[in-house]
Amino acid sequence: MSKILKVARREYVESVKSKTFIISVFMAPLIMAAIIFFSAKIAQTKPGSRPPLKITVTDLTGLLADEIDARFNAHNENSENRQIIYSQTAGDANSFNEQSAVQKDRLREGKIDAYIVIDSNVVSGNGKISLYTYKTEASNIDSLWGIVNLCRDAVIKYRYQIRNFDKELIDELQKVPTQQIEIGQAQGEEKVKDEIEMVTSMLVPFAFMLLMYIGIFANGQHMLTSVIEEKSSRVIEVLLSVVDSFQLMAGKILGLTGIGLTVIALWTFAAYSAVQWKGVDIDIKGWLFFYFVIYFILGFILLSSIMAGIGSICNTLRDAQNLMGPITIIYIIPLMSWIILVRSPQGTYATALSYVPPMTPLVMMLRLAASSEVPIIEIFATLALLVFSVIVVIWISAKVFHTGILMYGKKPRLREVLRWLRKS
Amino acid sequence: MDALLLQNISKSFNHFKAVDDLTVTVPAGSVYGFLGPNGAGKTTTIRMIMNIIRPDSGSVSIFGDSSVENMRSRISYMPEERGLYRKMTVRSVLAYFGSLKNLSPSVLNERIPYWLEQVNLADCAKKKVEELSRGMHQKLQFAVAAINQPDLLILDEPFSGLDPVNQEILKNIILRMRENGATILFSTHVMHEAEKLCDYILLINKGRTVIDGKLRQIKDRYRTGAVSAELACDVGFIEALPIVSSVKQQDNRFDIMLKDNADPQKLLAELVGKVEVTAFEVKAPSLHEIFIKLVGQQDE
Repeated sequence: MSKILKVARREYVESVKSKTFIISVFMAPLIMAAIIFFSAKIAQTKPGSRPPLKITVTDLTGLLADEIDARFNAHNENSENRQIIYSQTAGDANSFNEQSAVQKDRLREGKIDAYIVIDSNVVSGNGKISLYTYKTEASNIDSLWGIVNLCRDAVIKYRYQIRNFDKELIDELQKVPTQQIEIGQAQGEEKVKDEIEMVTSMLVPFAFMLLMYIGIFANGQHMLTSVIEEKSSRVIEVLLSVVDSFQLMAGKILGLTGIGLTVIALWTFAAYSAVQWKGVDIDIKGWLFFYFVIYFILGFILLSSIMAGIGSICNTLRDAQNLMGPITIIYIIPLMSWIILVRSPQGTYATALSYVPPMTPLVMMLRLAASSEVPIIEIFATLALLVFSVIVVIWISAKVFHTGILMYGKKPRLREVLRWLRKS
Repeated sequence: MDALLLQNISKSFNHFKAVDDLTVTVPAGSVYGFLGPNGAGKTTTIRMIMNIIRPDSGSVSIFGDSSVENMRSRISYMPEERGLYRKMTVRSVLAYFGSLKNLSPSVLNERIPYWLEQVNLADCAKKKVEELSRGMHQKLQFAVAAINQPDLLILDEPFSGLDPVNQEILKNIILRMRENGATILFSTHVMHEAEKLCDYILLINKGRTVIDGKLRQIKDRYRTGAVSAELACDVGFIEALPIVSSVKQQDNRFDIMLKDNADPQKLLAELVGKVEVTAFEVKAPSLHEIFIKLVGQQDE
């Protein structure tokens, strides 16, 4: 045991002193903070001027010309950055086909950006507003639908008018302010949550999962580089003459788990300080951190054992990258489906993913942070499964590590690795 | 008591038999040379002694104990492939491996300067390993192996890559360690180093013992009947002697080959009183010659 601790201590101390550690601890939160800061700044700045949109509108109702005119003019007054240059052609059912063909040719020639046709029965029947485009540029799509909506408003206004409805009054009647109030333990302790706080509350479960992912996956890669470095620098044989392969692997896992916990603790502290500084009030239950540490340790041991096995059979990081592909995908699945998991933390999908060992810590943390109704039996069951997986993976990895660590040259095939396992 | 006893150990990798039924006895307090051509099975045998790989069959016993783990603190190993943590300082590397060998911090505080002094690296204690030259790196590797002052020190190709000055330093340390009672087993394919240092040798080829025993006895066993003498006489006189097989003369130096089993002392007796003898040497075969002869025979 003392040798395991000595290996762990060296792994921890040398990793903490390395540039990679310093960069990962300080740079990651700094980059995140910079992104948040600059995106907020960028969001506040007005977008630059965009070229005007050239539109032709054919109003087959013959009733909306003034309304459309008014709306387009209002738009041009309010949006200096994107002007509309438009022309209206009068609706004439007899000459429409001919007129339409001319406009579509102009569209193809690039003389206009869009051609809008308002059907004659749009006010009182099922007529449509049709937007004709030709090889639309992605940068124009939002503006074009904005213009279609202006035409739609004109139609609605006219529909109200012919039924003698007061549009302003109806708009007023439709306004119902809503708010979320979080009450406290004490009577009268109430706090209205603003929009940022509501969004942040929804993001907390994701943040827990992301922190778990970065903590496990980014730090787990240290094991891979550490083993490959020891193998390629040939220090491994000196080590194996004083410690056995299991002690070496266990010591490395322990040391790197310490590194992972240190990074997580520092990041959590940084995130907590940032939230306090910004004055955002987020209610995070203390027991979540307790579960976080347990799931993190088990998840980290699981991944770093896999990494130790992979590292021992590879001579270079490039060799290892090929084997890393499938493992990376397993860890990314919960991240990609976080919205589903947050909306339905007790659903079949979330429950099923909780029982896939590499994903268990990520999914369970998100579920626990998103809902307080995760049955305690499920927590115990997933932890038991994780412990069992850790034991099996350590057993397999230790066997592979023992044989693979002294193998140089060609990377062994899967069949050969399986033969080592059978033999040992 | 024997420092090391290997009994009928064998090891195969896939279908290749690296070590085949090898039995070795290393007497305590000796310098034991483990000789053989490249790929003979030297490193595999050493790794089995150190329990880095396990033999398919046979047993290893160190100082009478069959568990290498029990003996870890009494043995040390310097592998052929040199490697240490490049980013660590010389001192911290010694401290780390010393602690893994169960040396206390107070003992390490004495041993680290002592061993750095021994290998002429006292000025490099604070340097990073990556700043050392290849020779310095190798000497540090030796210090790592020697820091626990083991009873059995196993060195795999310790002289390869060292210049003559550093080879001499290492050789003197090895001899001093033997004087202090340690057993040193080292593998090499550089025969003249083994010849200068070893009390015993084992020559292996293709994983099997070719010859083993005391170096002096082996050299005696392979005497070729060659004598070199400085004489003031005619070549015809020597050729006429019945125990002489052939003679080569260069000025007054004669390289004489005796007939099978002829005693060089008899030749000396024949010469004394009849011719002036200024030098007389019974030529023993070099280890290199024995090695080439025996391994060559096996390969045929």
